[in-house]
Amino acid sequence: MPAIRASGIRKRFGELEVLKGVSFDVRRGSVVSMIGASGSGKSTLLRCINRLETPTEGEVYVDGVPMGFVEDRGGRRRPRPLSEVNRLRRDLGMVFQQFNLWPHMTALGNVIEAPMRVRGLSRAEAVALGEAALEQVRLAEKRDAYPAHLSGGQQQRVAIARALAMQPKAMLFDEATSSLDPELTEEVLAVMRELAQRGTTMIVVTHEMRFAREVSDEVMFLHDGVIEESGPPEQVFGAPRSERCRQFLSKFIGQAR
Amino acid sequence: MFSEALRESVDLSLFWDYREVMLSGLAFNFHVFAASATAAIALGLGAALLRVAQALPFRVLGTLHVETFRNAPDYIMLVWVHFVLPLLLGAALGMRIEFHPFASAVIALGLVYSGYYAETFRAGIQSIPRGHLEAGRACGMSERQILWRIVMPQVVRRMLPEGLNQLVSLFKATTIVSLITVPDLMYRVSMVTATEMKPLPLYTGAALLYFAVVFAAASLVRLASERWRRRILA
Repeated sequence: MPAIRASGIRKRFGELEVLKGVSFDVRRGSVVSMIGASGSGKSTLLRCINRLETPTEGEVYVDGVPMGFVEDRGGRRRPRPLSEVNRLRRDLGMVFQQFNLWPHMTALGNVIEAPMRVRGLSRAEAVALGEAALEQVRLAEKRDAYPAHLSGGQQQRVAIARALAMQPKAMLFDEATSSLDPELTEEVLAVMRELAQRGTTMIVVTHEMRFAREVSDEVMFLHDGVIEESGPPEQVFGAPRSERCRQFLSKFIGQAR
Repeated sequence: MFSEALRESVDLSLFWDYREVMLSGLAFNFHVFAASATAAIALGLGAALLRVAQALPFRVLGTLHVETFRNAPDYIMLVWVHFVLPLLLGAALGMRIEFHPFASAVIALGLVYSGYYAETFRAGIQSIPRGHLEAGRACGMSERQILWRIVMPQVVRRMLPEGLNQLVSLFKATTIVSLITVPDLMYRVSMVTATEMKPLPLYTGAALLYFAVVFAAASLVRLASERWRRRILA
């Protein structure tokens, strides 16, 4: 069973159809990168997976469990109540482009909030977990710093630790390095590389082609709301079949190839 | 003539002679203030949450609350709540109803200032970046947890200077409750004036006392909260 399965995802915002039927599987322990131009639907697709956006059609399964509906004994489907969606969401850690740390909490405070409030851990348990997570992103010494006193790269690493502390089944990265300077980008990518090496299931929306090529097990190129090309990185980067994919990648020459 | 008036108004010995009466009057100001501030903040938060709700009827209700009370002069509201509202309620219920002056004062000031607080809360809530809420949702937090753990702690910090100004206004507004015979400091001043026939030192003394209390309390709160508040800012 795949860790994550997306099946026939469509998303409309009014007249605009951003996703036009997207299906894919993510194997447990694998890293899938999603690339494509701005507006191709990558971020929307990622947000549909943990239901920050509700897909207009289609369904996402996490470990075989549908995120959007429950089935009664007679096989009838009804929408999954929000409280249960919340419960399922915690299995999917998400890292945002804008970090989105909570500024009134310290680094450690950010990391232990959800383990305490959502998983119901005691403070001591959550702190142990949180310190380990901060250790993992090499920010143990910043545990008592407020986000305002951290660099962008450090903030993003705390955000990664916050997601990790929930011990999710998979991690979703939404352009995690796009608002960082090049030298800060590297420290975040290094942490993401390590996670990948430890066998974390990851979906990575990114413009970092070298990272996508080196770290991914599979690369998907999105164009205009559909997966235009997908396959192992050697294929997508080395010998793309789609003309659009080739055009898109040609803009990154020197970075990826 | 002028110098005589000046001398009389800065000679606070008469006010000092009545210090116990005056201070027990000031205690009423504090009580009205504390009760109406609590009501204003609670109602204001409620109205603000209605105004940012998804459903249109809630938003209409919240807007109605804000516009009604924010635009009502506190003086008129006080008189209306104390004299008109009991008549209306009494007629509706077919019985004689009277409000205790203290209760009328708290209701009137609480309602008027809830209109201001609702707007301050709403602006604070809407200033929280959407991403902070999404980060909470992505961690599996419920909307209620997000409101109380992520949104409100930031709102309070952001709105503190403005909220403090409103508390100062509210405290000053408690001086009108003597109008409906709440025996506050102003009420005591008029009573003593009626017997002593010396309004200048009495009103000056009251003004200085109000000033000292408001200035000291507001400065103290500002001083105590500034570091805590600024922490969230870069």
